[in-house]
Amino acid sequence: MAKYTYNQEAVDNLKLSDTSILDRLIDFESAREAHLKKEHAKKDKRMTIGEAVSAFVQDGDILTDGGFSYVRTPHQAFFEIIRQGKKNLQMIGAPNTNQTFFICYGDVEYSHNSYTGAEMRGIDKVYDRALKAGKVKILSEWSHGGVAQGFKAAQLGTPGFFSKQMLGSDLVRYNPYLKVIQNPLKADKDPVVFVPALYPDVAFIHCHAADKYGNAYIYGPAVNDLAVAAATRKLIITAEEIVPENDIRYNKQGQIIPFFYADAVVEMPFGAVPGNMPGYYYWSRQWWEKCMRFGGASDENIMAFCNEWIMGTKNQFEFVEKLGGAKWIAEARRQTKAAEGDNEDIDFSYEEYTLTHDSGLYY
Amino acid sequence: MQDLNAPANPLETLAYIIAQQINDHSIVYIGTGIPMVAGILAKKTHAPNITIVYESGGQDPIEGDMPWSVGCPFTWRKSPTIMEMSYSFAQCYNGYVDIGFLGFAQVDMYGNVNTHMIGKDFHHPKVRMTGSGGNNDLSSLTEKMVLVGLQTPDKFPEKVDFITSVGHLTGGNSRKEAGLIGNGPAAVISPWGVYDFEPVSKRMRVKSVTPGVTFEIAQSLTGFELLKPEGEIPQTKLITDDALKIIRTQVDPRGVFTTMPT
Repeated sequence: MAKYTYNQEAVDNLKLSDTSILDRLIDFESAREAHLKKEHAKKDKRMTIGEAVSAFVQDGDILTDGGFSYVRTPHQAFFEIIRQGKKNLQMIGAPNTNQTFFICYGDVEYSHNSYTGAEMRGIDKVYDRALKAGKVKILSEWSHGGVAQGFKAAQLGTPGFFSKQMLGSDLVRYNPYLKVIQNPLKADKDPVVFVPALYPDVAFIHCHAADKYGNAYIYGPAVNDLAVAAATRKLIITAEEIVPENDIRYNKQGQIIPFFYADAVVEMPFGAVPGNMPGYYYWSRQWWEKCMRFGGASDENIMAFCNEWIMGTKNQFEFVEKLGGAKWIAEARRQTKAAEGDNEDIDFSYEEYTLTHDSGLYY
Repeated sequence: MQDLNAPANPLETLAYIIAQQINDHSIVYIGTGIPMVAGILAKKTHAPNITIVYESGGQDPIEGDMPWSVGCPFTWRKSPTIMEMSYSFAQCYNGYVDIGFLGFAQVDMYGNVNTHMIGKDFHHPKVRMTGSGGNNDLSSLTEKMVLVGLQTPDKFPEKVDFITSVGHLTGGNSRKEAGLIGNGPAAVISPWGVYDFEPVSKRMRVKSVTPGVTFEIAQSLTGFELLKPEGEIPQTKLITDDALKIIRTQVDPRGVFTTMPT
């Protein structure tokens, strides 16, 4: 007997022969059980990223992250997952342009989709090809707001929300988790979408600072981070620096993830490279342009690009060296501070990467 | 630095026309791309007191360089507060947002938007595009939507290949019956025309045309039958030299969003 009765039209449209693959994302009982079994004692959870990935990412897991597209995304932790060659992962794409790297290496085979691309730098041609070639299968289509509500429902401790988003659209016809029902208190016809609480298996959240127990501080947009941290079965905090607990208690005003959500704490300066870390470093525009434009052109190109940058580096320090080392750090810090209004105004012009012009610079 | 003497290109024209939709003192929800240029242009010209809201949570930033992502520092530069994403969309639902601007890859005769795919087969589309992002959320919740994009018969088909975001669905009362909030799209803006929706049928209608464009030309760029308004069709106000200069020197000096794709 199946545990859930999914939206059958979406199951049919997505050609899902076995719906059990959908279950864990909404399986509250097993998520609660996982939360109960976690280490609740305030213990030192520090380890290396290699140890954290090895211990907490299992083949078949539903993976997600914090941040937004290429702002505070845990790219370097993702690259370690790829280096370790995890398999058969599902990935939640909101807000995430980064599934493609995993798909290239056959790590992510299933996608929960809400946005794939790089905004002003265009659509993701690698993802487009992978989808058509059957290298990745879409399990559900969402809006950003729909996914945000699913995570928020989990954080607020409820089976789900009644939403007014996604109604009438084809998202509902391609998302087995969504059902349109009547608002139970309205006398007139009033359709609402039931959005279930979402429980990923493992989440990586990159923070500005954390203590050794996992109290973690975020500066800048905390997009879905607090909700994801509360929902996920396993949480790995990567942090630009490890600070004393008192620093969090007394000095860090802002968004804080409580320690008891965290399974592992990894000191990981430059953990969001080549993306943007608010207050610390700007994103590498040329890196992303090369990724989308050169990598987008063919499967051979994207593999060459990923082999160079992901497999060709052992950690974030080697990655930063390739970007330009100390010079890159200085420029990236200056740029992000200027972008946030914490520095002199600077000229943001730069040598854009195009297929006919590669300056070799990444800042 | 841009050539200040070159005539306005279609994207600059578009940014100007969109900016004219923005009233001062309103709260404006902005998506990626040309809407960002328009919002900042409005703020630097006729609407200095607007509050701009972005989907990743930034609101009321002090303008800096052109945002390259709705999550980038320029969308929350010295913001008094930054919302979580679920709250950011809830502001549209709860009635705090006056107008929203979104792009599209396709828009149909009822203002339904597609940003998912070109082609009819979900598993083997001709091109897979971005998916919804916040597009559906804004369209579902915002009081007044303005849709913005380039216009060809393929981009203005009778039916979109995938309904990412509901506009007026199948016309008439169908948007309301589907349970959606707000009035749906009020206008579609392309470089060649401004379109509204006939109040009863909710079919797309020509509101004004760019100087040099006739109803027949607008129709030839559209994949369905456009409605013609009563009387003479007004001309869309052309971008002023001042506005063009402000775009090129202050809003998007490097042409990030206002350079025509090659």
